[in-house]
Amino acid sequence: MGNVERVDKTLPTNEMVYYVRKDPELRKRWNTDREGVCREFGLSQIEIDALMGEPNPKILMDIGVHQYLIPHILRLTYGETGMTNTHPALTAYQKAFPDESKAAIGGSKWDLAEEKNG
Amino acid sequence: MAKIVGAMATTHTPGLLGWFKDAPEDQQEAAINAFSKMRAYMADRDANVMIVFSNDHLLNWPINNLPSYTVGIGSEHVGPADWYDSWLNQEEKYRVAGHPELARYIVNACAKKGLSTAHLRDMKFDDGISVPTCWLNPDNKMKLVPISINAACPPIPTPAEVYEVGKLMREVIQSFPSDDRVVLVGSGGLSHEPGGPRYFHIDDDFDQWFLDLMAEGDHEKVLRECTFEKMEEAGSGGTVELIAWILVMAATKGPATVLDYVKSYSWRCASGWVVWPKVL
Repeated sequence: MGNVERVDKTLPTNEMVYYVRKDPELRKRWNTDREGVCREFGLSQIEIDALMGEPNPKILMDIGVHQYLIPHILRLTYGETGMTNTHPALTAYQKAFPDESKAAIGGSKWDLAEEKNG
Repeated sequence: MAKIVGAMATTHTPGLLGWFKDAPEDQQEAAINAFSKMRAYMADRDANVMIVFSNDHLLNWPINNLPSYTVGIGSEHVGPADWYDSWLNQEEKYRVAGHPELARYIVNACAKKGLSTAHLRDMKFDDGISVPTCWLNPDNKMKLVPISINAACPPIPTPAEVYEVGKLMREVIQSFPSDDRVVLVGSGGLSHEPGGPRYFHIDDDFDQWFLDLMAEGDHEKVLRECTFEKMEEAGSGGTVELIAWILVMAATKGPATVLDYVKSYSWRCASGWVVWPKVL
């Protein structure tokens, strides 16, 4: 089974992100009243906990958030532009999936471990 | 009747617009040259319409209502969608002429032939349509008909299914009463796993194998060997976008010409570009 097949199509988070992304007011509220937005869309407490603070991509994936939407959640949280590998959304992935990330970009200029060692 | 005068396929990684210059110069040059060859291919064939098949990244439809195929029937298309513009480094929207007569004909003729498609008058564009539009039609000389495929959520159409849809679309387009000269563009792939655990992963063995298949031109072999599972293994949720290439392949005959291949960790995606010299 591929990762994309792990999605829970009925998870309220997956519907919420669709609407938050396209609504400037909801986008603004994401960083001022995130919990309130989540409650309006009927998210469970497990989902809300996963979305508070600095969302962890692995936890989001484990509860059934669609993988396409996770970078968007991270963009909402950390900023919209410049999705290079140094964007906080991407460093969040390196932290959440260290083995998978190391297998691809270990030892490169983007490798967080290299940055620490350097 | 309208003629299909060409067919080609390209990657649409957002890095090709959003953070293009983050990649090494040789990778940038490869992309620039490949797109340039594709524009020349369309000019040589005097094409006036691009039908771009891509996948919708959960932009136009919420996850509780995902059609397998959606046709953009607007008279003008504007992109990228808000929220995607800064991501794609397109602070100024592009505006491209649509072809509502052809697009609406496709919707209705497909329905009569048993293929259900959704349609939108105001289709929103992310990287899937924006990348080929900005690179292949920068001066808005060509009309655009965008058609999206669900590659996001199960059940994702299989290669065999999209190939049959490609054959049906070819018949429909060629029965449209006009002098239009149409180029089909498949947009998606190559190996990548957008937003998945292996977000940085690229499987160049798979990519080379797939491009060799395209160059071989044996459609039955493509359908037999390029399975959903194999694409998922090469990068879940992203590599399977190659069904857009397979759909377009159904309107071609013989080998594709591979223009180039780039394995770019900067763009978090392998990029490839092909054109088919012969179309049916």
